[in-house]
Amino acid sequence: MEYTVGNIAPIFLAPVLAFVINAFLGRKLPRQGDWLATLSIFVSFIFSARIFSDFVFGKFASDNFIHKTFTWFDLSYGANIWKVDMGVYIDNMAAIMLLMVSGVAFLIHLFSTWYMDHDEKHGRFFIFLPLFTSAMLALVLSDNLLSLFIFWEIMGFCSYSLIGIYNKKEKAGDASLKAFMTTRVGDVFLLLGMVAIWMVIGSVSYVDIYAAIAQGKFDGQAVMGISLATFAGLCIFLGGMGKSAQFPLHVWLPDAMMGPTPGSALIHAATMVAAGVYLSLRMYPLMVLGDLTWFIAVIGAITAFMAATIALVQTDIKAVLAFSTISQLGYMMIGVGVGSYNAAFMHLITHAIFKACLFLSAGSVIHSIHEQEMPKMGGLRKYLPYTHFAMMCCTLAIAGIPFFSGFVSKDRILGDALYFGFMAGQNPLLAIVPILGFAGAGLTAFYMFRMMFLTFYGENRMHHHAHDHGHGHGHEDDHGHEIHLEHLSVRQNIPLLILAVFTLGFWFAGTLTGQTFGKVFGAKTEWFKILVEAPKVEKFINHPRELLGSTDSRPATDLPVAVYDHHSDTQTGYAGPNPDTHKIHKAHTIGAILSIIIAFSGVFLAFLMYIKKSVKPLSPSFPGFTEVLKNRYYFDNLYVDIVIKKGLLGLNRFLAWFDMGVYDRYAVDGWEKVNRVLFTASKWFDNVVVDAIGVDGTGVAVNLFNLVLRIVQSGKIQFYFIVLITVLASYIWTVNI
Amino acid sequence: MMGLTSYLVISLILFVTGLVVMLSRKNIVAILLGIELILNAAALNFVAYSRYVTGNLDGHIFSLFIIVVAAAEAAVGLAIVIRFFQIKETIHIDEATQLRN
Repeated sequence: MEYTVGNIAPIFLAPVLAFVINAFLGRKLPRQGDWLATLSIFVSFIFSARIFSDFVFGKFASDNFIHKTFTWFDLSYGANIWKVDMGVYIDNMAAIMLLMVSGVAFLIHLFSTWYMDHDEKHGRFFIFLPLFTSAMLALVLSDNLLSLFIFWEIMGFCSYSLIGIYNKKEKAGDASLKAFMTTRVGDVFLLLGMVAIWMVIGSVSYVDIYAAIAQGKFDGQAVMGISLATFAGLCIFLGGMGKSAQFPLHVWLPDAMMGPTPGSALIHAATMVAAGVYLSLRMYPLMVLGDLTWFIAVIGAITAFMAATIALVQTDIKAVLAFSTISQLGYMMIGVGVGSYNAAFMHLITHAIFKACLFLSAGSVIHSIHEQEMPKMGGLRKYLPYTHFAMMCCTLAIAGIPFFSGFVSKDRILGDALYFGFMAGQNPLLAIVPILGFAGAGLTAFYMFRMMFLTFYGENRMHHHAHDHGHGHGHEDDHGHEIHLEHLSVRQNIPLLILAVFTLGFWFAGTLTGQTFGKVFGAKTEWFKILVEAPKVEKFINHPRELLGSTDSRPATDLPVAVYDHHSDTQTGYAGPNPDTHKIHKAHTIGAILSIIIAFSGVFLAFLMYIKKSVKPLSPSFPGFTEVLKNRYYFDNLYVDIVIKKGLLGLNRFLAWFDMGVYDRYAVDGWEKVNRVLFTASKWFDNVVVDAIGVDGTGVAVNLFNLVLRIVQSGKIQFYFIVLITVLASYIWTVNI
Repeated sequence: MMGLTSYLVISLILFVTGLVVMLSRKNIVAILLGIELILNAAALNFVAYSRYVTGNLDGHIFSLFIIVVAAAEAAVGLAIVIRFFQIKETIHIDEATQLRN
């Protein structure tokens, strides 16, 4: 097993190649190059699958990793070492992530070839889609924060381009700008955090950061009175909050649905929002060192609950999914915060799969009936059987119904949160984390089934409504009233069905080798649990660097094979001392029972409200609160009306007054007056000294000299001879005397 | 008996004649002739000193060179005079004012 440039680089270079070709030649290619983009992602998928099989099937060893570097630029002088290394860092987490990103992105590409067909932005869409995917793949492969940041920003740019792809719609332009600016707030902090880390250890490589944490290099360092680990960790987490749409910076994600639905699928599932959680997981040791885990858990809990409540009242099918994404990202952050490292990562993977499927199904619905308002749908189960099947699987998964993937991952996060909030001896106020988490889980089950029932069940409400063009693509024609029975189509349905298969729980709860295949309950032999664990920082001390292209120093055969121990619970470490295994087991048992009860009651309530109609929807009873939810807790108003209009515009007015009243009046005009005086003096000097005396004086002097010279320089050659001979003769005569 | 003095006197006569011709005549061809006389005076001096003072052939060789250079100079000078005449239709020295101003 050798890892060289040749079999790592194609993972992200193949989509880059497709991007370049499509960007310059896309118009000339058949179908504007969408097949090329899809094929390039498939190439990435093949190479990723090879790495995945090496890491996951080759050996169940959780501490294996590959780290190869090369010097990007070297500014060392003398004894000062100042060089920046780039490189590749692959561990089990990256290997799983690569397979998920490339696999989901491939299916999204395949679906997009159907969805974007005959769309005016077809070609442009397939320029940015592969670039987006390649940036995410490269981000996963990065071994340091600097290259991560580069690809992070490329993704920011691609999301901007994809959200605003219908550039003639003003709302799309606004949404793309909003997404770009909001995530930029987080990015500034991420950069600040990188600078803080660089200040201490002179490197931003993960391996160096882990080693520095193990060696205690962060101890005693402080910035502005707070510990440097806290400062750097907080800044990096703020970066992740921007990208992963966490509580104060979540406002961009709902608007991101202005783009085409497959683009939303890519942003919401595999790439953009996953990057923030991935970064938080990578920097988990720093978060623990900086004692930030409780903060992450609280932010995650607030996000999870708040977004779930907003999703209750949304009528746009994509808006429900957008808020459910924010809510699920909140769960991932809870997972990071309460120390269930592998469950948070597992939820990232399971969520990516079922959310991609949900968005693609929504795309399938929207494209089939040219409508995205749920009150105007209904009864579509008869017309779109395959889409209904796929979407139902994903809804069961996200709602946390047993035997589906969402249950496996979310239940473990909630179980750990329960332990964290009530049993770990933390601050009693942190009980808010499991309370909000469980409440959000119930709401998730409710609003997801509300969406399913409104869309696919009940009577069809389409014919009674005028057809407006609220759908997210360029067709303005009006043949949407006629719904045709969906036939199984490779590009439309196969991606959905493949993703739906992977929403089943046993893929994640089993061992992938068959010993205890399908053991969903109990959750003792999950391959995720064995493979993914928080980095043990001690093993990174003095870890030798390997140059890119060198052969691996540790051959595969020497790697330790993990022992299947059905009784050892490789629970990850909390920030606190030795976790009590018994208590954790108890918390998990209670958590599992609680979440099943909550999930089923949420589904049942939705069933009563929207199918049986025996319970009236609550929104008319609480008009005030519904209004608050519909306005998304006024966060957009807060940012636009208060932060921007009051705060920023006030600041701008003050700056304008300062510019015009102070700077312009005194500095600029005063400078003008000073200049006037200087100018007068300078003018006098120029006119009198330079011009009159210098220039004209020279001319006069030359003229005078000319008068003399003109006599001598007669031009008569014989006169010159006479002068010559006279001078010569007089010289000889003088010398002879 | 003719000695060194006789040659020098003849050389002086040739030199002064050439100098006067060169300075007084306005005809370009005449000026060229004057220059030839001066050159010949110099050549005669070389040969005379070579014969009576040094006793070797250095002076002879020098005068041969002078004759060659004089011939070349006359050829160039006459060529200039012919072109000058073609342009100005005169060979008066005071008309050669093209380089003025």
